[in-house]
Amino acid sequence: MTRRISKYKRFVMMNPTIQFFKFIYLSIKVLVIVAGGHGGTRNA
Amino acid sequence: MAKIVILGAGIAGHVAASHLRRKLPKEHEVVVVSPNSNYQWIPSNIWVGIGRMKPKDILFPLAPLYAKKHIDFKQAKAVSFHPEGDQQEAKPYVVAEYVAGNEKGTTEKVTYDYLINATGPKLNFEATEGLSPGKNKAHSVCTYIHADEAWNALSDLIQQMKQGKKAKILIGTGHAKSTCQGAAFEYILNVEQELRRHKVRDMAKITWISNEYHLGDFGMDGMLLSYGSNIMKSSEMVGMVFEDRGISWILGAGVHKVEDGLAHYENLEGEQKQESFDFAMLIPSFSGHGFKAYDKMGNDITDRLFRGFMIVDADYTPKPYEEWSVQDWPETYQNPSYPNIFAPGIAFAPPHSISKPRKSKNGTDITPAPPRTGMPSGITAKLVADNIIEMIKHSDNELHHKGSMGNMGAACIASAGFGMTKGSGISITTFPIVPDFKKYPDTHGRKLGKTFGAIGLAGHWLKLALHYAFLYKAKMKPFWWLIPE
Repeated sequence: MTRRISKYKRFVMMNPTIQFFKFIYLSIKVLVIVAGGHGGTRNA
Repeated sequence: MAKIVILGAGIAGHVAASHLRRKLPKEHEVVVVSPNSNYQWIPSNIWVGIGRMKPKDILFPLAPLYAKKHIDFKQAKAVSFHPEGDQQEAKPYVVAEYVAGNEKGTTEKVTYDYLINATGPKLNFEATEGLSPGKNKAHSVCTYIHADEAWNALSDLIQQMKQGKKAKILIGTGHAKSTCQGAAFEYILNVEQELRRHKVRDMAKITWISNEYHLGDFGMDGMLLSYGSNIMKSSEMVGMVFEDRGISWILGAGVHKVEDGLAHYENLEGEQKQESFDFAMLIPSFSGHGFKAYDKMGNDITDRLFRGFMIVDADYTPKPYEEWSVQDWPETYQNPSYPNIFAPGIAFAPPHSISKPRKSKNGTDITPAPPRTGMPSGITAKLVADNIIEMIKHSDNELHHKGSMGNMGAACIASAGFGMTKGSGISITTFPIVPDFKKYPDTHGRKLGKTFGAIGLAGHWLKLALHYAFLYKAKMKPFWWLIPE
């Protein structure tokens, strides 16, 4: 096992308060990308 | 009055049926033919496979919902396709064989005006000698039944590890051309976390085995993604996570045989190798269901409908990797020979893989097949439903709704461990799914910003939120259609 994620990064990744805001951000970002439309490629 | 028959009630079939029923007046018939009695939210199977969810948490019976929503449901499997009817039956039909109830074993000609083939893949365990769920210590999480069996075996192993047994765990792909690396990726991280939770992590060696050339290929040729303020390759991100979790890996491996606790594989160097294990979860290859098709005179026309999976509006001309383009990929999922037949989701035949094809020195193809599961299945099913609705309502045979995987975003919210405070998830989005090297030449065919990765507890919450949201949507509860595919 090799530590590749620093203690600070791990704290950020697992802190519920920080992650709550990250959750809101991710939800909106994923929604925008996914619901952002799709289409064809042949007449683009 | 039109009759739309949908084969399959997985993500694609159910999405198509629910949108058709909501948008079409009641005089039009919507018929679902599926051998499965339950709808299952497949992305949560991995949590059944670690014992953190029960099968009942991820499924519900289809018959009561369909009865309430005026969708005709036949618990039957499709046997053959007759797109021109026959000498006795003028309308096109499929032959379906009932698999349950009083009619079990009997067949019926199910006629249609429009047919949606959403039969998904056959889990082709037979393609790998000795690979069968629950046999030879190898398991699967492809269905909730498989996942539950996998958890029973893993649970037993954890108990043995608590008694001092050292164990080897092998997770990944069980065939040279398997797809769905994402599910195996989620499972290996969840298993690793569960071993830590049970305080037996030190007793296990965990190994990832995959047909990918690079870590993080996921059957999509890997990704260059935004990660915080950095730009990172998906191979680097997955490598970082695996090293941090103490997971070793074997890449370019085409598993071709499984014996009791032993996986035989060929690597790209052409070497024949073995890897032993006490518990394995290996994703099989996917194949078409082997359906046959016949014309009005009873002549075999299977090759007009199928090349393994169903032929749609893709460009199937064989060409080298360097000449592949997003234009090869289908836009409407309509069969070119029979315009009233569509195949969204996994049921359509892809023009080629997305990952660069590679052969071993012995000539064995070791290349991940392209993923079409989850979100692309839902999006393509909805656009097929919308096109059929327009064809019915406006007698307009031009298809206005298009969705090529070369112009479609996808999100993969990969669970990396279960728990409201100890859980983790790796959120990855990609746009487009099939890289467009002409449009985005400097970023490996994808748009940075829309192709990003994030690791943390929020990812677990997001995956859990999607679990509940999509089951709510699938149950067609109030305003279900507001939730995007």
